[in-house]
Amino acid sequence: MSKALIELNNISFKYKNSYIIKNINLKIFEGSQIAIIGKSGSGKTTLISLLNGTLKPTSGYIRFFNLPFHKLDNSQKNKISTIWQDLRLIEDLSSEQNVNCGLLGKKNFLFALMNLLSISSYRKAHEVMKICKISPSIFMKKINNLSGGQKQRIAIARSLIQEAQILLADEPFNNLDPKLITTIKNLFLNKNNQNYIKISNTILIALHKIDLLKNFNRIIGLKNGTISLDISKEELKDNLLNDFYEFSEEN
Amino acid sequence: MTFMNLVKKIKLNPTSISFLPIFIFIPLGFQLLNNFHFGGIEIFTEFLASIVNPDFKKEILIKLSTRLKETIYIAFASWILSITLGLILGILSSDIFFEIFKIPKFIRFFIRFILAILRSIHELIWCLILMQIYGVNLSVGIIAICIPYTAINAKVFSEQLENINYKKYESIKSISSNSFSTLITLIWVPLSEIMENFGFYRLECSIRSSTILGLFGIGGIGTNIILNFKALNFNELWTSLWALALLVIISKALIYNFKFNYIKPNKSIFLLIIFSTLFIYYFIFIFYFLINSDFNLSYFSEAFTFSNINISMNELISDSLTTILITLCATAIAISLPPVLFLIFDNMFMIYLLRIFAFWLRLIPPTIIILILLIFNQPSIGLAGFTLGIHNAAITFRLLNRNLNEINKDLYKGMISFGSSRRVSWIYGLFSMQSKSYLAYCSYRSEIIIRETAIVGIIGGTGLGWQLSESLSSFAWEEVFIILIAYSSIAMVGEILNGKIKSNFN
Repeated sequence: MSKALIELNNISFKYKNSYIIKNINLKIFEGSQIAIIGKSGSGKTTLISLLNGTLKPTSGYIRFFNLPFHKLDNSQKNKISTIWQDLRLIEDLSSEQNVNCGLLGKKNFLFALMNLLSISSYRKAHEVMKICKISPSIFMKKINNLSGGQKQRIAIARSLIQEAQILLADEPFNNLDPKLITTIKNLFLNKNNQNYIKISNTILIALHKIDLLKNFNRIIGLKNGTISLDISKEELKDNLLNDFYEFSEEN
Repeated sequence: MTFMNLVKKIKLNPTSISFLPIFIFIPLGFQLLNNFHFGGIEIFTEFLASIVNPDFKKEILIKLSTRLKETIYIAFASWILSITLGLILGILSSDIFFEIFKIPKFIRFFIRFILAILRSIHELIWCLILMQIYGVNLSVGIIAICIPYTAINAKVFSEQLENINYKKYESIKSISSNSFSTLITLIWVPLSEIMENFGFYRLECSIRSSTILGLFGIGGIGTNIILNFKALNFNELWTSLWALALLVIISKALIYNFKFNYIKPNKSIFLLIIFSTLFIYYFIFIFYFLINSDFNLSYFSEAFTFSNINISMNELISDSLTTILITLCATAIAISLPPVLFLIFDNMFMIYLLRIFAFWLRLIPPTIIILILLIFNQPSIGLAGFTLGIHNAAITFRLLNRNLNEINKDLYKGMISFGSSRRVSWIYGLFSMQSKSYLAYCSYRSEIIIRETAIVGIIGGTGLGWQLSESLSSFAWEEVFIILIAYSSIAMVGEILNGKIKSNFN
């Protein structure tokens, strides 16, 4: 078996005297396509924040590419990209400037400055935005003038342009219509062959949409901060999901 | 109902706090009326009559243009230098900078402490000290304004950076850009915004400050104003004041037309290049001035000998208390007078007249205001407080007027529609909605007032300002040093208290 890209060993995370994540063991291998499911408050977002190194575990350890997070150099850190549930875009910058922010890890300070001054237009950013179905008419629009769906696609484009080895996404299909969900899902799962960017083949997505689960080769269910389901898509059965969804009309 | 019961019933909230300090006018009015005399009424009438009769003789205009050029030079150079240095120091003293570069926090504390000392002393005091050391020179004026202004700007810039959402920081950091790219990406928009809202307004402040320094002999239009005032040459005095008004209006027009476009900033880049070039030019110029000046280091050693101090501790405490009283009195006026005026004069025409009056009160330096008031009043703490109070009330009036114009008026209109009187609707439907931000600004203004007590103190013969001017004129550097410590302490305590008040409002 190949080495794990990310390894969580007996991880717990405590916030204000209560455990959000408890004793989680998880290995993410090259090529894994993992869906994380669980009700609101089950710890999905915290798990993703631990996986991208934003949060430090209260106990246990995480190894990224066989190293602790603080020993990773910038190029190694840049191999993990994240789509945040709250998007974390810079509201007063344009769509294009925000997408270019995904390249900050690979480029130098001059690029950061030129991006802020809009001096250079970067072809790759345009291509990624087109792939994410972002209309050229909003390339120069400020983020705070965009709709929820447009912002969501900008956040996705910012993450994709990073061409990371591992993609972490927290509810990336929020605010998207069904057609766009299919397009973005196919992008994530590498079903759209295109030449412009390299999309990671290792993905971990927290999601609420049951109908998308069959597209992932591993499904992990979180309940009260612990993993209580870890199955392959072949093992997926509807009755197994009862504990992980607040069933609504949509589901 | 007894008075005490009434007092107990009063609920303190930002709206009531804004109105209550108006009661300062009871003891203040008593003192001012008690000290009033009719001796100077004739001169005052002449002063007022000259408003519409300024002197436009050719030689006066030539002299005025030379003085105006000096003021513009001092104001513009000190603005460019203090904004740029303030920007750099603001970044260096911000939390986000220390977070990104993982620098020990005690260094930030040290930088902030030094900045707090620098801004606690008014530019006029810096100017008087520097004039004793370097002599009278326009460069001294530039440095004197630069020192506190840089520290004030740094504070405002770093406070703006405190508002950066840390989640954005995490998202940029997780992309793992290098630290400089992360920093510039995060601070670009907030700093551009504060530069637009505050940075350009500082040019107007620099013009005012360079005028004040001129009154004390550094040159520029201020020198013209004070010479004309002393000679009771009011026609020529008003020529200078009208020219100053024109200069402020033109600078405002230029400032308000400059808006930074973050998305297509190509035109703005040209201005940024000019700005940077001017900064480098002025920086080298001032640096050259400092290293080529005949600087006497013995002044510093004298300041630390403490062998020849003629101020007693009682005098120092008494002067410090006087300074605090002047500040409290002026702050009370600056807070309460604008909302009370809005409440009394609730028609557009009167507000328009008040705006014109406020414009002149902002424009005429407090030094001149107190000299005019001294024509028919005795020097007193009340007079000093009143002078600073009305000057600063003119500034808070402008802010309140602008905020009231920008606020959503639906609630006000709604209240009018269900029969509330205009005044009640104004309090509940308009003023109460932004009284918090108004008070937060007033608390910042009180920090400025503490520093400004030096100006009126020197003229009005009261407080630490007067004591400082006495010590400076007798080259008693030990006393100067001790008074500066007292000044700084008051200003820094005021700043800490205001910080607490502001955080409560937020």
